[in-house]
Amino acid sequence: MTRVLDPLPRTTLDSGAVSAAAVSMRARVMLVLTAVVGLIAFAWPLFFTPGSAVDPLQAPLLFALVLPLVLAVVVSELTGNGMDVKGLALLGVLSAVGAVLRPIGTGTAGMEPIFFLLILGGRAFGPGFGFAQGAITMFASALLTAGVGPWLPYQMVAAGFVGLGGGFLPRARGRVELALLAAWGLVSAFVYGWLMDFAFWPFGIGPSTQFSFDPHADIAANLHTFVLYNLATSMGWNLGRALTTVALIVLLAPGLLHVLRRAARRAAFAPR
Amino acid sequence: MIRFDDVSLTYAGASGPALAGVTFTIEEGDLAVVVGRTGTGKSTLLGAINGHVPHFTGGVMAGEVTVAGRSTRTHRPRDLADVVGWVGQDPLAGFVTDTVEDEIAYGMEQLGTAPAAMRKRVEETLDLMGIADLRARPLADLSGGQQQRVAIAAVLAAQPRVVVLDEPTSALDPTAAQDVLSAITTLVHEVGLTVVLAEHRLERVLHQADTLVWLPSGRRDAIVGPPAEILLDCDVRPPLAQLATALGWHAVPASVRDARRRAQRERITVTAPTDAPISRGPVRARVSDLRVAYGSTVAVNSVSLDLHGGEVTCLMGRNGAGKSSLLWAMQGATASTGGVEIDGTDPRPLSAARARALVSLVPQTAADLLYLPSVGAELAQADRESSRPTGTTATLLSRLGADLPVDADPRDLSEGQRLGLVLAIQLAAGPGVLALDEPTRGLDYAMKDRLAQILADLAAQGRSIVVSTHDVEFAAAATQRTIVMADGDVIADGPTREVCTSSPVFAPQAAKVFAPTPVLVASELFTVAP
Amino acid sequence: MHPWAWWAWALGVAAAVSMTTNPLLLALIALGLIAVILLRRTDAPWARSVAAYFVLAGVIIGIRLFFQVLLGGSVGGTVILTLPEIRLPAWAAGIRLGGAVTAEGLAWAVYDALRLSVMLLCLGAANSLANPRQALRSVPAALYEASVAVVIALSVAPQLVESTQRVRRARRLRGGTSSGLGTVTAVVIPVLADAIDRSLRLAAGMEARGFGRSRTGQGTSAALTAMLAAAALAATVGVFLLLGAPEFTAAGAGMLLAGILGTVLGLRRSGRALGVTRYRPQPWTGRDTLLAVCGATAAAAPALATASGRPALFDAFNPSVNPLVWPTLHGVMIPVVAMVLAPLAVTSPPGASSRRVS
Repeated sequence: MTRVLDPLPRTTLDSGAVSAAAVSMRARVMLVLTAVVGLIAFAWPLFFTPGSAVDPLQAPLLFALVLPLVLAVVVSELTGNGMDVKGLALLGVLSAVGAVLRPIGTGTAGMEPIFFLLILGGRAFGPGFGFAQGAITMFASALLTAGVGPWLPYQMVAAGFVGLGGGFLPRARGRVELALLAAWGLVSAFVYGWLMDFAFWPFGIGPSTQFSFDPHADIAANLHTFVLYNLATSMGWNLGRALTTVALIVLLAPGLLHVLRRAARRAAFAPR
Repeated sequence: MIRFDDVSLTYAGASGPALAGVTFTIEEGDLAVVVGRTGTGKSTLLGAINGHVPHFTGGVMAGEVTVAGRSTRTHRPRDLADVVGWVGQDPLAGFVTDTVEDEIAYGMEQLGTAPAAMRKRVEETLDLMGIADLRARPLADLSGGQQQRVAIAAVLAAQPRVVVLDEPTSALDPTAAQDVLSAITTLVHEVGLTVVLAEHRLERVLHQADTLVWLPSGRRDAIVGPPAEILLDCDVRPPLAQLATALGWHAVPASVRDARRRAQRERITVTAPTDAPISRGPVRARVSDLRVAYGSTVAVNSVSLDLHGGEVTCLMGRNGAGKSSLLWAMQGATASTGGVEIDGTDPRPLSAARARALVSLVPQTAADLLYLPSVGAELAQADRESSRPTGTTATLLSRLGADLPVDADPRDLSEGQRLGLVLAIQLAAGPGVLALDEPTRGLDYAMKDRLAQILADLAAQGRSIVVSTHDVEFAAAATQRTIVMADGDVIADGPTREVCTSSPVFAPQAAKVFAPTPVLVASELFTVAP
Repeated sequence: MHPWAWWAWALGVAAAVSMTTNPLLLALIALGLIAVILLRRTDAPWARSVAAYFVLAGVIIGIRLFFQVLLGGSVGGTVILTLPEIRLPAWAAGIRLGGAVTAEGLAWAVYDALRLSVMLLCLGAANSLANPRQALRSVPAALYEASVAVVIALSVAPQLVESTQRVRRARRLRGGTSSGLGTVTAVVIPVLADAIDRSLRLAAGMEARGFGRSRTGQGTSAALTAMLAAAALAATVGVFLLLGAPEFTAAGAGMLLAGILGTVLGLRRSGRALGVTRYRPQPWTGRDTLLAVCGATAAAAPALATASGRPALFDAFNPSVNPLVWPTLHGVMIPVVAMVLAPLAVTSPPGASSRRVS
C-alpha cells in the first residue's frame, strides 16, 4: 500500500479541552446568588418576627428545603458546564479524601481535618472547583456516615465557601502564600463555626434558657446573647478547628500544593 | 481494522517526539502484541488507537490513526467507545461503580443503550467471561485476576470491535495471569475481536500472537511483522528468543511445544549444568516458628528458616500465600510471634532506625516510601535518616547504575528508576539483610537482568538477599535458593535449580524445553556441545 | 422500596413531630419508628448507623437539661431545687448561673428536647432505611455529573483507607515512627499523590468508556440559567417573608412554592440533553406512592388540628407547662401513630424482596 497521503494538518491539543479552573460568568452569578441565599439561611434568627406562621424551630427546616435547590442549581452549573471528566474524577477523589479524613476529627474537640484540603483544593484548581469540592465532600461524608439531615445543606454551602475562598486568595508564592492560606484557614474556621451555631442556635440550647434565642428581643440583644452562648459553648470547638486547620496548612501546604499543581499540570488545567 | 499513517507525536514540554513516522496496519481478528523496552512509547502507541493520545494527554500529533474507518483526528475517545474498548494496568483504579454488575453496565449506560438490551448484554458478558457467580460482589473484594476479568467484561459489554490492553497482567500471579490471558484468547478465537496488547513478560502471550509491533529503542518508529521474524532482531528477548539465539535457530519458536519438538527433531541433547559449589556465608537471618495472623486469618504459619550471607533467595507462591507477610514480619514492621534474629538481634523491639540498619525492606509499592517533591530532597533525607555523610545515598544510587536528575519529581520516574531510588535509600542504612517484595513489576527483560546483576553484587559483599517474586524466569536467572510458600507454610525449600525444575508451575521455559535435564536459562546452553 | 419514598415518609413524620410537644405522643412515635427501623432495615453498612442517632438523641436531652438547670430562665413556678447562685457582670447581660430550678422549666426543656430527639430519630430512620446509592442513581439529569463525582468519592473512600494503612505501615521501613507530626506529611503526601494519579487513570477510563458522549449541545441556555436563578431567589424570598413578615404569610408561601416548582422544572429542563440510560433502574411503584402519602398524612393531622383553631386540639398537641398539666392523648393522634407504623404494612421485610441490596 503506497498511497500518497495528503499533507494532513497537525492536530494540536495542548490541553484537555475544558479547564476546570475557569469559572464562567454564569457560574459567578450563581455563586453570588448562593452566597446571598446562604447568608439569609444562616442569619435567619436576625430577621425572625414573632407571630409569623412558622415556629422558630421550624425555620432551619424550611431552609433545609430551599438550600438544596440552590445548591443543585449552582453545583449543576459548576460540574455540568464547567468541568471535564478529569475535573470530575479529581473532584470525586479529593472528596473521598475529605470524607475519609472527616470522621478522624469527630470526637476530638473541634478537630476538623478537612478544611485545609478544601482551601488547598480551591487554591490549586480555582474557586469554582473549591466550592464544588466543599459541597461534595460534605455530601459524600454524610452518605458514608449516614448523617444526612437538615444540617447537611448548611454544611455544604459553608464548606463550599471555605473552598471558594481558597481560590480567590490573591496571587502569591512561598511564605506569603502560606501565610495567606493559613490566615484564610483561621478566619474561615471561625466564621464556619459561628454561622453554623447561629443557624442552629434555637436547636442547640432550647427555647427557655437565658442563653436562648428570644424572638421578641431586638437584633442587638439577640446578638449579645448569641456571643455569650457561643463563647460559653463553642469557643473551644471553634478554636480547635481553627488551630488544626492552620497547623495542617503550615505542615502540609508546601508538599500538597506541589502534588496538586503537578496534577493540574498533568490534567492540563490552567493552574493558579 | 487499525491503521497508523505516518503518525508522529510530541508531548507538550518534551524534548523530542514520543513516536515518529509510525506506519502499520493491523488486520481484523488479529492478536497484536506491542513490544519494546521501557520508555519506547508502548503506552503512547496504545493510547493513540482510541484517541486517548492526544485528546486526553495533550501533545501535538501528525499523521492519522484510523480505527474501523473512524479517524482519531475527528473522534474523541468517548466517540470511539463503541469501537475500541480500553483496559488499563490497574483495574481497580479504573472502576467507576462498586459492584460487578453495575460496572459492566456502566459503559452501556454512557452509550445510551436501551435498558432491555442492556440487561441482556450484561448477562451474556458475564457468561462469556465466566464471572456470572461474581455478579453482585463488591469490586474491591475481588482478587486481582477477577478484577481484571471484570474490567475486560466491562469494555466488552459495549460490543467494541477492538480491545486494547495495556499490560493487563503485570500485577497478577502466574495463575491469575493465565486466567486473564486465556480470557483474552477467547475474545480473539471465539468472538473474532481484534486485540492489541502490551505485555512485559512476552513468554506468556507469544504463542498466541499473530503480529508483533516492535518499538525499537533509540528509534521512534515501529517494525511490524510475524513474531518468529521480529523476535530474531528484537531488543526485547523473551526466554525462547534467547534459546533460539543460543542454538543458532533462524526462527524463534512460538511456544515451548514448538521448541521442544524442534530440539527433539534436531536431536539436541544438553548435559545437566552443574552449579559451582555454593559458597554460603554465615547465617545472617534466622526465623524460628514465626507466625503472623491478622485477626482470625493466619498469614504465616510457624515458619522456620535460615538465610545465609552471600546468597540470593527467592520466595515464590500464589498471591496471599504469606510471602509479603513473612518479609514484613522479618523486618519487624508487622507484628508476629516466634523468633526472628538478624545477626543475632531481634529487630522487632528495636527502634525503626536501628531495625532498618539490620534488615531493610523494599516494599511492593515502592512509591509509598517517597514523600518529598524531588529526587534530591529524597536523597538528602535518606542521608539524614541513616546518619550518613551527605552524598552517601547519591553515590549508592549511581553505583546502582541509575543516575537520576536531582530535581525530578520521584512520581514522574519510571518503575525501574523508582525502584533504584528506593533501593539506594534502603541500602543507605547499611543492612546485612535486604528483602525485596515483588521488585520485578513493570521491569523489562534488560532491567531485570540489571537488577539480577545488582543483587548478585550486593550478595557478594556478604549480604543476605531475599526476593519475593512471581517471575519464574527472574528467579531462575537471579537466585540460588528458592522457597515456595502456600497457605502460610513453606512447602518447598532448596537450590533454585532443583525446586524450579521439579514442578511445571515454577519451571522457566528453558527447563520445560529440555526437561528432564535441569536447564534454567538459555545462557547455560553455551557450555553444551550439540 | 424506592429510597426517596423512605425519605418522603420520614420527612413527613418529622414534620408531624415538629408540630407537637406532647411527650406521650412523642414517645409513641419514637417506639413506632424503632419498630419500623428494626423490622425493615437490611444489613447494609448505612443501616447500622441508627445507633449513633440514639446516642445523639440522648446527648441532646442531657445537654438541654444541663443548660436548663444551670441557666434556666427566671420564669416563676414550682421550685423543686435551689442551686447556689452566681450573677455574671453586666457585660454578660446579667446572666444568672444556678438559682431556683422549676418543675415547669424542666418540663418544657424535656418536652422540647424530646421533640428534637424524635425528629433526629426520623432522620436516623431515613438514613438507615433508604439506600443512598440507589438514591444517587435517581437524581435529576442536570445533577448527573455531580452525582458521578459523589459515586467516585464513595467508591474510592474505602481504597483510600487501605492505602493510608499501607503507607503508615511502610513508614517504619524508612526509620520513621508511626505517630507524630512528621508522620502527617510522610503519610498524607504519598496517599494523596497516589489518589490523584488514580483519579487521572479513572478519568481516562471513563472517557474511553464513553462518558460525556451523550451530553450534547452547549449546556444550558442563558435564559434557563436566569430562570433557575430567579426561581431559587423566589424560594428564598418566600421563606424570608414567612419568617420575618407575618402580614405576608400567604405571599411568602406562594413564592416559596413557585420557587420550588420553578427550580425543579428548570433542572429537569436543563438535564434533558443527557442521553445516559440506567441499568436496572429502581421503578417508582404504587407502594412507594403509598409510603410517601403515609408521611404526608402523618404531617397533615397535627397541621389540620392546629389550623382548625379549636383550643382543645391545640392543647392536646402542645400540652401546657405553665400551669403544668399532665399531658393526655387524643383520638386525633391515632392517624399520626398509624402512619408512623404504616411501613410495616406497606413494605415487605428485607430479604423477602427479590431486589439486590447494593
